[in-house]
Amino acid sequence: MLWKDQYELGVSLIDTQHKELFRRVESFMQVLRSSDSWDKKISQIDETLEFMKKYVVEHFRDEEEYQRSINYPGYEAHKQIHNGMVKYVLEVSKQYEKSKYNEDLMQQFGGKLLAWLINHVAAEDQLIADYAIKKGVSGNDK
Amino acid sequence: MINNLYRAFVDATQNVFNLMLNLSEISDQLVEDYKCDDEVDIAIGIVGDLNGEVIYRFPVSTSLNMVNIMSGMQFEVVDVFVTSAISEIANIISGNVLTALSTSDIKCDILPPMQHKPDEDKEYELKTSCCINTTIGEIYIDIRLNRVC
Repeated sequence: MLWKDQYELGVSLIDTQHKELFRRVESFMQVLRSSDSWDKKISQIDETLEFMKKYVVEHFRDEEEYQRSINYPGYEAHKQIHNGMVKYVLEVSKQYEKSKYNEDLMQQFGGKLLAWLINHVAAEDQLIADYAIKKGVSGNDK
Repeated sequence: MINNLYRAFVDATQNVFNLMLNLSEISDQLVEDYKCDDEVDIAIGIVGDLNGEVIYRFPVSTSLNMVNIMSGMQFEVVDVFVTSAISEIANIISGNVLTALSTSDIKCDILPPMQHKPDEDKEYELKTSCCINTTIGEIYIDIRLNRVC
């Protein structure tokens, strides 16, 4: 299982969204790496890509809202990281359509997404939780 | 300076491996010459107060072990997915090093990861190599940088 309990921040809304993101990325990888022909996988890949485009934006918005609610000092820098990832997902999606569903492009996207997501949640997001605990505002959850 | 750079890369690698791969038993050593044909070389260009590149040399078995741990799946060969995942790890380590260096007022940016072998013909003022030993294999880091006046 891709999700590990050590990634929990203690903020239920964010943790729930992170679990959903990990679940989707895991099922994306399973489709990506299955032995089926690429043509058979395209519809499932497209579905996940569409989900990622919407859900990543929604999740980042909620997470940024939480950061503002606790006056997280790293808010601006964290927002830049989110914006960079949204831009990357949209660019890859555009290139993928333009390339007429090139498999290598999606394999490359999958590898980067896996490492990026684990680092972001295990390292960057953990800093938010550390700050909330330190300031005694870790219960400021929706 | 060279010692600070060496330490910054080793520390960042240890932190990233600990957080992302749950590896805590990590040691490092200076290396003079490293020869391995069975590896994936990921170069990260550095521009700013320091200019040059850092090459992460991941033996194939280490690369596969890293991606297997992250994904919970079994990867048997280094393909586009594996190369992309370990390139992102090299990118993350380098980003963390630059963040650490910025506290000493050294301002640099990193360029997107590229897959290529070190260019042995170029001269560098700051040049060192380290081997990082982990329970899933070794990683070699070649640091090749020049100060920009």
